[in-house]
Parts: sequence; structure tokens; C-alpha cells
Amino acid sequence: MVWLFYLAAAVALFCTVMVITRLNAVHALLYMVMALLSLALIFFLLGAPFIAALEVIVYAGAIMVLFVFVIMMLNIGPQSVDQERRWFNLSTWRGLVFIAGILLIELIIALRLGFPEPLDVTEVTPHQVSLSLFGPYLLGVELASMLLLAGLVGAYHLGRREQERPKK
Amino acid sequence: MTLQDLRPLLPLLVLSAAIVTVMLVIAFKRDHRLTFALTLIGLVLSLAALPLASSGLPRTVTPLVVIDGFALFYIALVLAASLVVVIFSFSYLEKVAGNREEYYLLMMLATLGAVVLVVSNHFVSFFIGLETLSISLYTLIAYTRFERQRIEAAIKYLVLAAAASSFLLFGMALAYLVYGTMQFDQMSSPSNFSAADSALLTVGLAMLMVGIGFKLALVPFHMWAPDVYQGAPAPVTAFVATVSKGGIIALMLRLFAFVPLTLGSNLWNVFALIAILSMLAGNVLAVVQSNVKRILAYSSIAHFGYLLVAFLASNALSISSMTFYLVVYIITSLIAFGVITVLSHPQKEFEELEDYRGLFRQQRRPAIFLGLALLSLASLPPTGGLVGKIFLAAAGVESSLWLLLAALVIGSVIGVFYYLRVAITIFRQPEEESAVWTAPRLTPLAEVTLVLLSLGLIILGIFPAPLINLIEAVAARLG
Repeated sequence: MVWLFYLAAAVALFCTVMVITRLNAVHALLYMVMALLSLALIFFLLGAPFIAALEVIVYAGAIMVLFVFVIMMLNIGPQSVDQERRWFNLSTWRGLVFIAGILLIELIIALRLGFPEPLDVTEVTPHQVSLSLFGPYLLGVELASMLLLAGLVGAYHLGRREQERPKK
Repeated sequence: MTLQDLRPLLPLLVLSAAIVTVMLVIAFKRDHRLTFALTLIGLVLSLAALPLASSGLPRTVTPLVVIDGFALFYIALVLAASLVVVIFSFSYLEKVAGNREEYYLLMMLATLGAVVLVVSNHFVSFFIGLETLSISLYTLIAYTRFERQRIEAAIKYLVLAAAASSFLLFGMALAYLVYGTMQFDQMSSPSNFSAADSALLTVGLAMLMVGIGFKLALVPFHMWAPDVYQGAPAPVTAFVATVSKGGIIALMLRLFAFVPLTLGSNLWNVFALIAILSMLAGNVLAVVQSNVKRILAYSSIAHFGYLLVAFLASNALSISSMTFYLVVYIITSLIAFGVITVLSHPQKEFEELEDYRGLFRQQRRPAIFLGLALLSLASLPPTGGLVGKIFLAAAGVESSLWLLLAALVIGSVIGVFYYLRVAITIFRQPEEESAVWTAPRLTPLAEVTLVLLSLGLIILGIFPAPLINLIEAVAARLG
């Protein structure tokens, strides 16, 4: 069953290459979502179902929401609706659906067969994850909050409306 | 983790409390002076907490953090350097239009990141500390965000730092694969290393070195340094040159105290090549620059190449000579960038070599401070630079690294040329048209700080023994 891993890894690599070679930002984002989903599958195969679920919820989920926001805020009007209808044909989405299909089939196989020999891994449960986060890694969690604070303050400062532009 | 563990952590706790306080105060009342004062108080209190933290050491607080004499010494260095940068920033920020308060918040967060690097004993705290430092720096570099070159510098730093971080993570993963632990003090190589294991470890450590080399701007990972040094606001450049690099050096010393780097191994040879390239390329490229911030950027590349000579010697003198040199380098850089900061305006930085022409006639004291810093960078007496360089070379001689020492000597000779070129420019007759430049006023606090730093630099040059003894005492614990 080790081929499940290699297949998921190949999908992840392919999608990542597609992310950095697409010229259209939205296409790149879609491939990035696929790459994150395949990473989630790899985590699942390695015996970390909790991390896999987080990967799907936080990364794939959050990025999808961001992407929807971008579409909502940038392309408004009947013109763009028309354009989107033209984009929404078979040739645009069959590639991604094919990749997602591979991952889905892999997930079903893995769920039905369990973890056979070559991938004989110990499963890490959410309980164990939270124990280590509140035990040895407590300081890491606290420091990560400081890291997020730095990112938040930075985004606030750089993203603020430009009122105080110096007069030339 | 118990209550007793909190005591050694006091400097970090005080700094974090200061960060939260400053953030809340900004939310309720925006006031530049108030924020500045609170930042100073926070950093001073954190420094004052160091003696309180120093009982019952060394102490491992959770697997992530270790507090020992070495860590406390470097925390003091990082906090003091950060304090000096904050003092210099005040008059610069007064001239910035728009919000100034977040600057101090980010400065403290970046300092916290450097402190975490200094105390980290684990890949997780290493990475979190490094990212806290980097993410704060992205914004700090672009802080006066309507100058084009700030944004350009910040984007360059962001892209390259992200690439370096991914190398670092991969390197950590490989080292973890071989050692089976992410804790530095448990990374002792087992005797039954297979060939595959040691190959994996070599690749992993080389990737770690890419991440570290990027932060230290060693050749060939130095591309960002000149642009970021030039593009960032002058006080932020001072921070990048001192606090950021000091934290990384402390981490590197701690990591490689446990992970062996044997003389003559493949990895050692790669490091030696990096050191030689840094010393030569840094100095040669500095000669052709006409911008003082760029000159200092290339000079920092060379100086960290010198540091690597002692690092590669890996003998009894290594850690103490590197630490001593780093202290001298940080003091010197703070003086040089401090003078640039106090003379600069956010929209027109005082950075072109031509600007410095005749500085001595217009502004006696800053010119003397800058001249002293240049003497120290060129390792000329009576400054600490000379003692530091001799100390580094002694570590190299001890392990008979003649090729590296030759590069050090050649680099230093080239260095003297361009440092003295700047120094001579300062003392030259000003041209007629340069008289339009109006000299800004030095704040008393900045002036006192510059005087103290200069005195410190001269004292280290004449009477270095007390500091060397202190460093040897704290370094003995490591490794």
C-alpha cells in the first residue's frame, strides 16, 4: 500500500509545480488547494488524522474562503458573470476534478484497508496532540501567539488606507 | 513546567509583558513620546531582570528553552543593542508622517524573536524565534511605506527569507530523521552511524547552514544585504546589522556545540569555502560602492566571514573569540548606523559618500564618532576592532587554518582601503554647493548614547581583559 503515499506525493508535487507556473492567480490558488489536500492525505497515511483534518479545514478551507472573497470583491457586474459562465466549461475544470478524484479514491482505499505493512504507523490522536501542546510545547504555543501578533501589527500598518502620504 | 521555571524566564516574560502593554497603550492613546518611553522602560526592566534570572543555572525550561550563562550574556547583548537602536530611532521617527507607534511594538517583537533564538534548545523554538524576528523585520523595513525603495527592499527580504526558511525546515527535518530528536543537547552522534545516515545529516546540516547563512548574509546568500541595508530606514538597518545577526550567531554556537563539525569533512570544506568567499567578495565589492549604507552592508558580509574563521577552528578559543568580536562589531555598527540615523531624514537619508564630504567641518561630534567606528571596522588601534581581529586570528592559528587566515589578512587589507576612503571624505573640504545641507540636531539622549558607545569601543581596545574573562566564564559552560 506504499503506492498510496507515492501517488499522493506525486499529486502534491505536480500541483505545486502548477501553482508556481500558472499566470492566472486564481488558477494557481486552485492548484494550491489541491496541493494542500494531497498533503492532508499524506498526513493521514502517516497516521496523523488530526493534522490532516486541520490541514483541510485551515489551509484548504481558509484559502478557499479568501479566494471567494477576492472574486466577490474584484469582479462585480453582469460583464464578469458572463465571463465566468464562459470560463466554466468542461476543459477548465476537468483537470482539477481528475486530481481531486485520485485523492478521493485513495482516501477511500486507505479507509477500507487500514494501514497495511509498509505504512505500519502509530496513529497520533487529537488527545496526544493537545497533551504535547500543553506540556512540553507550551512555550512554543505562547511564542507562536507573539509571532501572530507581529504579523497582525505588520499587516495593519502596511495595509492601512493611505491618508498620510507626504505631499510632493 | 513549574513555578521555579518562571524565574529564569523573567527577561522573556518582562519583554512580552512590555509588548502587550505597549500594544494596549497604543490602542487607547496614540502618543509618540509615551510609546517611546514605555519601550525604553520595558527594555530596561527586561535587562534589569537578568540578575534575578541568574540563580540556579543552567536550567532547561521545557524541552524548548535553556537558560544558562551564555544565554543570559547574549540576551543582555541583544536587549542592549535593541535599546540603543530604539534611542536612535526617536528623532528619525519624529520626522515620519503617519503612525509611528507601531514601530516600537514591532521593534520589541523582533527583539523577542532574537531573544528566543538565543535561548532556544530545540528546532521548534529556533524556527518560531527566527520567524518572529523575520516577520517583524518585513514590516520594519517597509515602515515608511511611501518611499518606493523601502517596499522594494522589504519584498526582496520577504521572498529570500521565505526561501531560506524553507531550506531551514527541510534541513531540520533531515537532522531530525537522523538524530530522532529536535533537542540540541541530545544530538550526539551515535557510534553506529550508517553511511546513509551521515550523508543525510550532511545534507541536512548544509541546508540548515543555508538558512543561517542567509540571515548572516554570507556569500553566496548575501544578495539581499546591500539592497536591504540601503533600502531600509537607517535605524532598521542598524537593527538588522546587530540584533538580528547577534541572535543567529548565538544560536549557531549553541547548535554546533552539540552537532559535531569535524575538521576536514565535506561539510567543513563547504563552510570554509563560504568563509573565504565572504571575506574576499565582501571586501572587494565594498570598494566599488559609493553609498555608505551599501559599503557597510558589504563590510558586514566580510566581518561575518572573519567570524566563521574562528567558528571553523572549533577549538577552545572559538566561542570566546567569536563572542568578543561580535560584541565589538555590534558596538561599532551601532555607532556607524546611529550617526547615519541621527543625520538622516526619512525622505532623504544621509547615505551617499558625497553627502559626507566635509562632515567634520559642519558637525564635529558625529564626524568623530563615525571616524572612530570606521577605525574599529578597519581594525586599527586604539579600538576594540583590533583586539577582536587578533583574537579571531589566534583561534585560527591554534588550528593552523592557514588558507582561511590568508583570506582574513587579504580581506582586512582591502578593508582598510575603503574604510579610510570614507574617513578621509569626512575630513575633506566641503564643496560649495553642499552648503545647502542643513545639519539636524542631535537629541541629548542620542548624543550620550553615542559617547558611551565610543568610550566602550576605546576601552575594549585598550583594556579588553574584563570582558574576555566574562565571556570565557560564560562560554565554558557551552559544549
